Amino acid sequence: MRIQNLELTARTVVEGFVSGLHQSPYLGFSVDFAEYRTYQPGDELKRIDWNVFARSDKLYVKLYEGETNTRVLILLDMSGSMSYGSGDVKKIDYGKILAACLSYFAYHQRDGVGLVTFDSEIRAHIPAARRTGQLSNIFKEIDHAEASKETAFKKPLRYLAEILNRRGIIVVISDFYDEPSSIIAGLKALKSKGNDIMAFHIMDDYELTFPFEDMAQFEDLETLKKMHVIPEYLRPQYLSILNQHIAELKKGLSGAQIDYTLMNTSKPLDAGLFAYLAARASSV
Amino acid sequence: MSFLNPFFLFGAVALAVPVLIHLVRREKSEVVRFSSLMFLLKVPKRSVRQQKLKNLLLMVLRLLILALLVAAFMRPYMANSPLAAITGQSQGVVMLLDNSYSMRYGTNFDRMKTEAEKRINALGANDRMTLIVFNNNASVLDRPTSDKSELKARVSSIEPSFGGTRYYEAFVAADRALQQFTGMKRQLIMISDFQRAGWNRSSRENVIAKDVKTEMVNLGVENSTNVGIDNVSVDAASFARTFGGRVTARIHNYRKDQPVTVPASLSINDKEAGGRRSVTIPPNSTALAEFTGFDLPIGATKGKLKIEAMDPLAVDNEFLFSMVRLEKLKVLILDGGKPRQSFYLKSAFASSTELPMEVTVANAETIRAEDLPMYSIVLVNDVPKLSDSVRDRMTELRKSGQQGQFVILGEYADLGWWGNYAALPVKPLEKITATRNLGKSSVVMTSFDRNHGIFKKFQNSAKFTLSTAQFYAYTRMELKPGATALVKFEDGSPAMAEFSGKDRGLVVFASSVDNAVQTGWNDFPLKASFVPMFIEVARYLSHSDEVRDWYALGEGVPVVGSLVGGTAAVVTPSGERVSLGELTAGEQKFFTPEVPGFHEIRVGRQVRVVAVNPPSSEGNLDMIPPGELIDSVQSTAAEAAKAGLFTSDDQLDQARRQLSWWYILGIAILAAIAEIYIANRSNRAAAGTLIPGK
Repeated sequence: MRIQNLELTARTVVEGFVSGLHQSPYLGFSVDFAEYRTYQPGDELKRIDWNVFARSDKLYVKLYEGETNTRVLILLDMSGSMSYGSGDVKKIDYGKILAACLSYFAYHQRDGVGLVTFDSEIRAHIPAARRTGQLSNIFKEIDHAEASKETAFKKPLRYLAEILNRRGIIVVISDFYDEPSSIIAGLKALKSKGNDIMAFHIMDDYELTFPFEDMAQFEDLETLKKMHVIPEYLRPQYLSILNQHIAELKKGLSGAQIDYTLMNTSKPLDAGLFAYLAARASSV
Repeated sequence: MSFLNPFFLFGAVALAVPVLIHLVRREKSEVVRFSSLMFLLKVPKRSVRQQKLKNLLLMVLRLLILALLVAAFMRPYMANSPLAAITGQSQGVVMLLDNSYSMRYGTNFDRMKTEAEKRINALGANDRMTLIVFNNNASVLDRPTSDKSELKARVSSIEPSFGGTRYYEAFVAADRALQQFTGMKRQLIMISDFQRAGWNRSSRENVIAKDVKTEMVNLGVENSTNVGIDNVSVDAASFARTFGGRVTARIHNYRKDQPVTVPASLSINDKEAGGRRSVTIPPNSTALAEFTGFDLPIGATKGKLKIEAMDPLAVDNEFLFSMVRLEKLKVLILDGGKPRQSFYLKSAFASSTELPMEVTVANAETIRAEDLPMYSIVLVNDVPKLSDSVRDRMTELRKSGQQGQFVILGEYADLGWWGNYAALPVKPLEKITATRNLGKSSVVMTSFDRNHGIFKKFQNSAKFTLSTAQFYAYTRMELKPGATALVKFEDGSPAMAEFSGKDRGLVVFASSVDNAVQTGWNDFPLKASFVPMFIEVARYLSHSDEVRDWYALGEGVPVVGSLVGGTAAVVTPSGERVSLGELTAGEQKFFTPEVPGFHEIRVGRQVRVVAVNPPSSEGNLDMIPPGELIDSVQSTAAEAAKAGLFTSDDQLDQARRQLSWWYILGIAILAAIAEIYIANRSNRAAAGTLIPGK
């Protein structure tokens, strides 16, 4: 995916998503003056600049350019398992688009945006900032990232907990193929530093339903191990264990007041963006 | 174990199919790249192991089902009972004990019992034995048992019989008894003197199965010293006070090494008669002893011929026979009163000394019906017709068997009247004159029934011929249904005829026999065959030819309700009375004596004595080698193979031995049910199966 494409996709998705909303409840939260606009019936009276009215006898409403000190750091899982996709869209692609959309969204919300890609270790880290070219750097990194290796949350999260010294919003995009306790412990550490954390659990439809029929050798994309599987016999137990895993994640994360969203790659990104906006609103 | 359809073994190749499919699928299974095996690896190992075990069990069951189906279709059968191999020492024994007449030789019978007891003592605790006693017939003594004392008691209760020997019947009974011993080793013991006379079959008879172990206990004697009476021939009916015939005894010396001389004597009603004879018999040969000139009382007489031979088999040193002295035969000739009409007939009957007759000639028109019953034979010699009363009385007397009748249809016979006489075996058609009707001077009688009672005596005589008589005229007759022609003219027309079966007793002749020479009908009375034929006619019609001198044991003795019938019974030699029920006049039943000796047969007031002798063949103690005998009845391996693998001819036995394929099929079905159950349970539980990767 080219950077331009990624940016274009993110812009299309975000703007399409935003324009669909009746009212942006978030515009005007900033304190810096932007421009005047003639009063229109329905505008709140408190927002009329009475000084200008006194000078020119005309009613103007004062508009402010938003400004924030919120930093949004997106953690994108680049482990081997993310490269799985039963259809056209791989989990990693879905995750990349989600990360790009959120970056774009946040950047244009005047938030500082950063990116961390990781597998069992931190692979790239772009600290959150709102400087020119930040978004482009993020897109470039997202674009270049390749899924490989195993997932292990413990080490990367511990590292992040050590280096992050300002509070912000941390978005974790991953398939969470690690022990729930390890994931929850890592995220709790970040949460304890005052961060708002959002966990996007990216799963393929086939992972969620295990619709395989024929006996086959299943190859692990992370470890490359193989095993003979008769899906017909194994499906119920697999789904049971998966559901238990998700339930544990959900329970553990909600207990730590961490937002958790399970995303099926066969569904649109709306759910993810809504979740982000809801979290963003609550953090202001 | 062998198989009927071994080609089905190729079906076992099917066993490889599931294994091959498994291996091929395992090798060629598709590789699916999946995000992570993390969850798959978390499936409990126990469940996987259980599933693996279930799958293994399922595969084993499926292979087992296939193997069982293949085995079932191969139709296995047991050459020997499978249980026999399991039970090891347990065996079923059938012991054949010969109690035939010949076993009375010396101490043979006691030796037989001793040998039998030895075999009983040798029985194991789990062995079972059936005893079969045989002579002419074979009879099983109770059911198989392991109780030695009971078996010994049964042996000691056996008595020697007077019956002959038939090995075949004994082997058939033994085979039947051996079939009861399913699942045991089978053994056949035979204790006998192995008389060759007991085996008269020229071909092999596969009676005893190949797997039956046999033991032949031979009690036979190599050089028999027996001397016995084979046969006695005597004219059983006599009419004279002093017996003019001969009692001829054939005495057999069974010794092969030296001649013997034995005194022979005859007793009549337990009194010695006819003197004594000393008979010298060459080795392994026979000699005759003849007795004659002794007096006979009126009625039935018991005769006994005895030799004083000091041999170990005493029972054949006596021979019984019965005789009957009859009064003169009363013969009535009814004629038309023509001069010399019955001259030749009367002369023929009067000339008989062997069969004395009292002949009365009467006119058919004047005879009274009430006078008829006093005559044993009535000859109606060419009369036009009979009065109704005479005709009816004659019919009655003939039907009751009291009177024999002879009707001559000649020159004077009214064919119309005789044609309506129902008792006549023929329908007279016309009187034929050879010159006028046949265009030749005369015809002759060309053939006669040599097996008929009248002509039996001439069966082997070349001198007796009927064809010398010239018949210039005769009555053409047509046989009624059920009638047979005893003599025929050269043109096939019957000359003499009689009803066969129950209605016999009236013989009709188709031409005049008396002054025929003068009348020009025939010259038969002038021929040599005339007198003997009419004497035999009289003998036949009087039934005196039916008196038998003796019967062999086992032969049926006829009991006839000849005159008016009545209650029939037989008094055996031991004085036991055996009832034969009611007999109507002319009805016949048969009685089979079980012991030798004189039997009195009573029908109403009539008493007849019948002599019964044991079979003379039992005196010949020549042996058949026991090995040869058993080889003649036991299947060989080659015959078993040729006969389709089985060693026994018995269908049930074969069927039983093949039954195992049903059991195998049953097990296969059970395995299939188990497979379905386990597979269904497995599906319901939906447990996974996981085979660790390479």
